[in-house]
Amino acid sequence: MADEEQKPTKVCFVTIGATAPFNLLLSNVLNTRFLDSLSLYGYTDLLIQFGNEGRVIFEEYMHKYPFGECGLNISGFDFNRTGLSQEMLSTKGNKDVGRRRAEGMILSHAGSGSILEALRIGIPLVVVPNPALQDNHQQELADELSKQGYAVSSDPTDIASAVRKAESLRSRLQGWPPINSGQDTSQGLGQVMADEMGFID
Amino acid sequence: MSLTKMWHWLSMNTLFATLLILAVPLAVSVLLFLHALSTSHPTVVLKTRRRYSPTHLLIVLGSGGHTAEMLSMLRRLPLDPTLYTYRTYVVSSGDGFSASKVVEFEKTLRQKRERKGGLDESGICSEDTPRLEPEQLHRLNENFTDVAIPGSYIVITVPRARRVHQSFWTAPFTTVKCFWACLNILRGVHVEQRSCPKTMIPRYPDLILTNGPATGVCIVLAAKLIRLLRYVSTSLNVWYPAVLSLYEGQAPTPYPLRTVFVESWARVTSLSLSGKILLPFVDRFLVQWPSLRGKRAWRGMKESEFVGTLVE
Repeated sequence: MADEEQKPTKVCFVTIGATAPFNLLLSNVLNTRFLDSLSLYGYTDLLIQFGNEGRVIFEEYMHKYPFGECGLNISGFDFNRTGLSQEMLSTKGNKDVGRRRAEGMILSHAGSGSILEALRIGIPLVVVPNPALQDNHQQELADELSKQGYAVSSDPTDIASAVRKAESLRSRLQGWPPINSGQDTSQGLGQVMADEMGFID
Repeated sequence: MSLTKMWHWLSMNTLFATLLILAVPLAVSVLLFLHALSTSHPTVVLKTRRRYSPTHLLIVLGSGGHTAEMLSMLRRLPLDPTLYTYRTYVVSSGDGFSASKVVEFEKTLRQKRERKGGLDESGICSEDTPRLEPEQLHRLNENFTDVAIPGSYIVITVPRARRVHQSFWTAPFTTVKCFWACLNILRGVHVEQRSCPKTMIPRYPDLILTNGPATGVCIVLAAKLIRLLRYVSTSLNVWYPAVLSLYEGQAPTPYPLRTVFVESWARVTSLSLSGKILLPFVDRFLVQWPSLRGKRAWRGMKESEFVGTLVE
């Protein structure tokens, strides 16, 4: 009985990326505005992949607030060599016995590897392009995905309101991968490869 | 005075004459080169290859995002190891992540094939992975008996063309090093290829698949160079240059080293630097977003093809 009354856990996973530092995003994640917003929408856990450069900021914060803020259980790690699929899966909901887990969200830098991983899992995704990167094609990808209803595109300074947008995306989240239409070639990559190999039909 | 004038006139004349003498062979050789360049790179491959015959596919992996996208595309295809019987994966030095991801990917391929070919003892096949037709299996065994063995693929490491933060002054040297390694891989004489079952593998990769890392640029340009040399040497009917011939006693494939470039899924409205460089060189240039459809290097060149989202 006690288990049912208990508030379900709800995980937000944040990935800053491994190759380029993105301190602007990290400091905004560890900001009361974002944390408040998370707690408002029922999140209980915040897991952060902060990268090499982010360690200082994260540890400084944990030193200041050893028990987190806004009732959130905050934890972090630098990066995972084997990929982030385990961490991403931890945001998925479950109906197991014991403590129930509600479906959470993923907030990611705009690297294509992380975005694809999150889209495959099918969890509301917030994509944050890094404005410091030159030749910023990340913004275009994030905007396009947001336009087509696959993700929420957000500015690093505006992630608090992105939590609300992710919540509204949850109900209308589209399946991934998209079914292709309007292509030049009829069957995509497989057909192109077969043509180039000269396979007899 | 008149002497200098005459000298001047003479020198002008000789200069003109020399230029004329030089210009004619120069123009001829340029024309010949352009002819060789175009005919050595036919746009359409004739359908002459039997399915399930031994083939060699070369896949270039880059760091992080490129590798994730490439493997995602191969999973979505899905890559059929009975069609692409031997696979060479090229990774850059210091990129253990990509190498381990390849091994993981190949493991799932093998497991899938074992199920598909009815190799598991239970004999239970799921509906979405039908058994091979008896004829296909027969051909497979006839042509290439060890498709499923671990030796049906290889991961080769090449030096990086340019490390992150590397000075632009030293970049040309490392690029040349990378290019040389790529040439060796395509010729099948790279150090790491020594242990390959040579009789099993077609002389050159039949198909090269890349999605934009710097190594891919080196590989594609090296492939173009070999194709050109190969065309020139065969059309002049001279002996095949010793450096190019490898596995004796094997008929060369009619269209070796075909190149397919897939622009990164992350590129929505503009081509990547690798894409811009390779646009005039690859046989097929595929883009995944509609606004990149129909890009070309210059007038009259073939266009990029929009194929929709290839990643999953």
